[in-house]
Amino acid sequence: MTLGSHLTPLARSHIEQADVVFAALSDGIVELWLQRMHSDVRSLQPYYAEGKSRMVTYRQWVDLMMTEVRAGKNVCGVFYGHPGIFAWSPHKAIEVARAEGFKAHMEPGISAEDCLYADLGIDPGRFGCQHFEASQLLFYERRIDPAGYLVLWQVGLVGDLSLKRFSTGPAYRQALVDVLSADYPLDHEVIIYRGATLPIQKPRIRRMALRDLPGAELTAEETVVLPPGAPLKQNPAMRERLAALDKEASIA
Amino acid sequence: MSDTIELLEAIGRNATLRHASVDELASILEQAKASEALKSAVAAGDSSLLSEEFGHQPNRVPQITNAPGHEEDEPDHDGDDKPHRPPDPGHSPPHKRTPHKQ
Repeated sequence: MTLGSHLTPLARSHIEQADVVFAALSDGIVELWLQRMHSDVRSLQPYYAEGKSRMVTYRQWVDLMMTEVRAGKNVCGVFYGHPGIFAWSPHKAIEVARAEGFKAHMEPGISAEDCLYADLGIDPGRFGCQHFEASQLLFYERRIDPAGYLVLWQVGLVGDLSLKRFSTGPAYRQALVDVLSADYPLDHEVIIYRGATLPIQKPRIRRMALRDLPGAELTAEETVVLPPGAPLKQNPAMRERLAALDKEASIA
Repeated sequence: MSDTIELLEAIGRNATLRHASVDELASILEQAKASEALKSAVAAGDSSLLSEEFGHQPNRVPQITNAPGHEEDEPDHDGDDKPHRPPDPGHSPPHKRTPHKQ
């Protein structure tokens, strides 16, 4: 999401018409921009703390928003990118509000994922595209399809079970590389991507071999993309079945 | 001196300015009497230089946990790692009589 470029007219209208606006944004300057649209913008940033579980922070955000909703206020939560993508509190706040009988809905936004497709020239429809929060590949047994794109989010804090850190380190990323090496050669290209938040920025795009990922400097907002590492494999049995169906259809 | 937030918004919403070269943008910012911090940030390709004007620390960005098991602490929840059914859009429980607010 880029300042000045990616706020939809409808989202802006929600902000302007709200009684109170809560903001969880990735950049303090974007927060200043938001303050130009409404006189009562309350930042959610102070609720983060090193050593404090982010789950506690996210629940506090929901409570803050719901307190105002219960007081009869028209509340707008502004979250960077798309509020429903890699964001827990917006979904939870809507769920709680509806459960208590209030009207609530989510307005889509332009996410880092959207910017990534444009900036990297990737069409997820071409080979398919899997997205994972990177730690899920370590905590769970997931099936990666190397014939499609693989997009990994929050690699900078991969493997953090505590939810109390905002970054982990090379040893954690090495564990991720070890998992990925089951499906990709170590010289497979990985792309580290960060979209532009301010309109004077360019997207940050770095390319390196998979084996070099542990040593790379990586922030929480950067995303790792693995292009396909294997060709699409035909399914002859299903093709035969479809051919038979086509034949039947043409006879009919 | 021009307002930096207004200038940033103007750049962000203008197709020519958004994709202008550093030299082009520097010239436009000079004419617009932009702040030294903004001109420096554009010239250096380093937006962190804007912090001299606004004094911001970098924001925290994660807004999700990394394992579904962390997210639900309701005692009656069955199985932390199971996918959760999304809430039914636009419908609230019929027995609730709390006033609606939009």
